[in-house]
Amino acid sequence: SGELYCSLPNPRNVRFESVNMKNVLHWLAPEGTGDGVLYKVKYAVYGVGKWIRKPECRNINRTWCDLSSETSDYEEQYYASVKAFLNGTCSDWMETTRFNPLTDTKIDPPMVSVSSTDRSISIILTAPEKWKGSPEEDSISLLQVYPGLQYNVSVLNKKTKKRWLFSISNNTLVVPWLEPGTAYCVSAQIHVTTPLLDSGFSKEYCITTLKDK
Amino acid sequence: TCRVSMSLAEIRAAFTAIKANIQARDPIRTLSILSHPHSLHKVKSADRCCITHQLLTFYVDKVFKHCRTEDSFVNRKISSIANSFLSARRRLGQCHEQNNCMCGEESTEKFKQILANYEELNVTSAAMKSLGELDILLDWMDKSR
Repeated sequence: SGELYCSLPNPRNVRFESVNMKNVLHWLAPEGTGDGVLYKVKYAVYGVGKWIRKPECRNINRTWCDLSSETSDYEEQYYASVKAFLNGTCSDWMETTRFNPLTDTKIDPPMVSVSSTDRSISIILTAPEKWKGSPEEDSISLLQVYPGLQYNVSVLNKKTKKRWLFSISNNTLVVPWLEPGTAYCVSAQIHVTTPLLDSGFSKEYCITTLKDK
Repeated sequence: TCRVSMSLAEIRAAFTAIKANIQARDPIRTLSILSHPHSLHKVKSADRCCITHQLLTFYVDKVFKHCRTEDSFVNRKISSIANSFLSARRRLGQCHEQNNCMCGEESTEKFKQILANYEELNVTSAAMKSLGELDILLDWMDKSR
């Protein structure tokens, strides 16, 4: 396209938003431009020379572009860039800061499953999987990505409002010496010490211990 | 082999606090000191001790001292990281002297490439780029513990 002189305001706040290494480039439309702005996107591997265009994000009017497959090697770091077009004029290319998928992603809470006897509850935790391009691909648990991954588990006695907090490395926990016929609510969080990454706490899973035999 | 304890979490926290500031001072996307053309992640386990010792020495001798900034907060974080590297290098050096941290041909070659990358830039730019790549080093150290 005949981009002689780019006088369009630039896209703003160009950044990666990443959850479980699903890495999506987001930006805000240039200031003061209404509808009709189109964008194109390119990305680069840090330390390697060239920019690579993303064909699926060429002449798009949305303000995001999924670059998960292009940035799936978390031993690399990346930059991405966006350019806006409107009525024959354009903006400058606007770049992200350096993106490190390993340290710059957010992690979802673990899945929690709970079962009980009369005086104990058993908790099984499952770490989320790393983003993958298609269901056929092998699943990679974030446990494999972050070997130091731990779980913080909260157990609340609904009757007494007493709460216990456990920090465990393996994914199962049995809480003994509980009261029969009592409701307990469990919530869990993922904690990675280095790099420092914490998920939010999962929603609460409540279960009632069996009545006394 | 040598086992040296190093508080990676503390170093990470210090680096994370200044990462955006430091990386913003490095406009060169097309050159990496540590990750291209050879990736640290491809280092064999037998070479890990030697490469770690060489990299600790590299950062102490060629990076931290050339990274003074006008920002006292950033400077304090840099010196806390430098102190951690200094003590880890001292302990690893003792192990190295007892011939428990041998350098094979491959690790020598890989470290030569890192120095070559470093020497492509002027000292200040090369030091600032190396400092901005500390997360690459820490990611590798984390993984190979």
